[in-house]
Amino acid sequence: MAPAWGEAVVAATDHTRRTFGALTLAACALPGVMPAVAMAEEAPEHSLVAVKMSGYQDKQPGLDRLSVKSPSFYLLTPLGRQWAVEGSLTHDDVSGASPRYYTDVSGASRMHDDRVAGDLRLTRYFERQSLSIGLSHSGEHDYVSNALSITGTHASEDNNTTWNAGIGLSRDRINPVNELVVNERKRTVEWQVGVTHALSPLDLVQGTLTWSVGKGYFSDPYKLFDERPRERNSGVLLLRWNHWSPALAAAVRSSYRLYRDSFGVQAHTVELNVEKPLNAQWTLTPSLRYHTQRAADFYVDPVDNANVYPGPNGTPTYVSTDQRLSAFGALGLGMKLAWQWSPAWGADMKLERYEQRADWRLGGQGSPGVDPLKALQWQIGLSHKF
Amino acid sequence: MANRSLAQVLTLRPGPGGPVWLIEFRAMGSPCRLHLAGVALPRAQELAELALAEVQRIEQAWSRYLDDSLVSRINRAAGTGKVVAVDAETAHLLDFADQLWRASEGRFDITSGVLRRAWNFRQASVPDAARLAQVCGLIGWADVAWNGEFISLPRTGMEIDFGGLGKEYAVDRVATLLIEAGQRSGVVNLGGDLRVLGPRPDGQAWQMAVAHPRQPGENLVSWPLLEGALATSGDYERCIEVAGRRYAHILDPRTGWPVSDWQSISVHAPACLAAGALCTVAMLSGPAAPDFLREQGVDFVACDAHGHLFTSEDTRCDLRAAC
Repeated sequence: MAPAWGEAVVAATDHTRRTFGALTLAACALPGVMPAVAMAEEAPEHSLVAVKMSGYQDKQPGLDRLSVKSPSFYLLTPLGRQWAVEGSLTHDDVSGASPRYYTDVSGASRMHDDRVAGDLRLTRYFERQSLSIGLSHSGEHDYVSNALSITGTHASEDNNTTWNAGIGLSRDRINPVNELVVNERKRTVEWQVGVTHALSPLDLVQGTLTWSVGKGYFSDPYKLFDERPRERNSGVLLLRWNHWSPALAAAVRSSYRLYRDSFGVQAHTVELNVEKPLNAQWTLTPSLRYHTQRAADFYVDPVDNANVYPGPNGTPTYVSTDQRLSAFGALGLGMKLAWQWSPAWGADMKLERYEQRADWRLGGQGSPGVDPLKALQWQIGLSHKF
Repeated sequence: MANRSLAQVLTLRPGPGGPVWLIEFRAMGSPCRLHLAGVALPRAQELAELALAEVQRIEQAWSRYLDDSLVSRINRAAGTGKVVAVDAETAHLLDFADQLWRASEGRFDITSGVLRRAWNFRQASVPDAARLAQVCGLIGWADVAWNGEFISLPRTGMEIDFGGLGKEYAVDRVATLLIEAGQRSGVVNLGGDLRVLGPRPDGQAWQMAVAHPRQPGENLVSWPLLEGALATSGDYERCIEVAGRRYAHILDPRTGWPVSDWQSISVHAPACLAAGALCTVAMLSGPAAPDFLREQGVDFVACDAHGHLFTSEDTRCDLRAAC
């Protein structure tokens, strides 16, 4: 996204809380006047085009699972002073072993797939509000998804507080190659409300609540013993705090995310990253993420009985052996290096190491019998403003 | 950047948290000083270059003395019916000037610079009424065609200038650039408008002072600053006395006459642009100035025509040095 300029500035001079008047705030909100964090209801001033290449690879003992090398293109351009349009196009080349269920079963078939995804968003900026409408499409030969979203923001008169609300609809069509099901559908409606508040010129807090109701085919057609409910409702609470630390001369961003769904999964994720400008051109951003989750109600652990394995005991209505629905903890450690060598040109490089283990689950044991998963994600990008 | 010259690091002053580098240069018609602390000399020189380049960039865009500046082009097109396209940065400043003009009910007007044609503060004479009326006819932001992208001054001889905004904005830009470049301790001071990057390396405040409006060389108050900006507007920089009456260069664009309610007003705000604009508007606001500044939530010290001081309730300035 475009750099977040013109941030709402409230407050603290010499650590005294003050409520500034409109003129004071207006001066502080001029782009480039305050070094900081946040947002404004303002159309971007420049066009931005970015190209990114990214890759993902995960490993479990004895098996390389997936590698996606996706070139993606992103374009953001203002249309006059009040409109902006942005779009992106991604092409993923997915290859590797298809996802397997319990991790000690090998011999998964090799797979290769192309995915093309694109989205387009049009935003109208008003004095204190913005309204945007977005369309997106993603297509693989066995899975097609279309989505529509509308979001709006409203900023308070002093620019200290911004509220946002949105609704999203998506329709997916699933036609697996094994023809286990034909022309299956999935529909999701999502509501979101949020508020962002500048506590001081250095501190920005945000809370967002998302609720989504999904109906349709949620099972994985490529997995044995995978039968999931045809309804999935989920809620997400996201809390964020961005702080500019004068002592570190860096922006410290922290967040907490709570996820719950009707499958019984409950997850907590905390993340911390520090964006540290090294000099006028280079910025280093180390990040740390921890995730812990409870298994879905119908996730089944591997059983010892060789007559049953790899299936579940008995014949439950709903069942899944997908380890993404198991109980586990995960740690992500990342580093991003950005180089802005001119106002118009910049490049960045990002690497994240992720590891998921059953016994890293917070406050208890994770699902037994699942091998640790290690993943490496990288991204390089080039961006140009004009 | 043809006229760009290397900023010279002049003084090394060892302090409790390491050396404080003082860099002096001249820009925007004023002496400029940069204090940088907690940093090695080569880096201080790099930062000084960065600061100087930014000041010169802004000066070249907005100086009314430079023929090829945007402001000069806008002023040359006055009365011709031509519209001049404005870049985004200038547009933001013009929008802010527009906001100031509205909020101050016309007291702050970027077209009021033409008054210097009538008032010559080098000669002890008061302009005659006809001349003043003629010049006042060229003032009027209300008549300027400004749509956020293009500007056109309707009458020949009309001018805009960013006096009271440009230097202050330059202070903020330099401070922001230096902070974003990782510099956490220092002060940017362009001709008396200043902004603190962050406390001294030992966490102590920078000791700033406000000049006494009537006693040259003396301080009105001292003002310790950990962060934020400080700007002062005074009637003492340029003034004339005619027949025992003092005429200051603080001119009300609505009448063309000097105002004399305040000897000086200093404002501490997060940004220098805010501090500078607020003290200029306050100087022209008569007895309402203290209330206006309180509404803006800023720390201030105002010295009235009799030398009485008015401050914000929770001022951080040190009044012990006061007259």
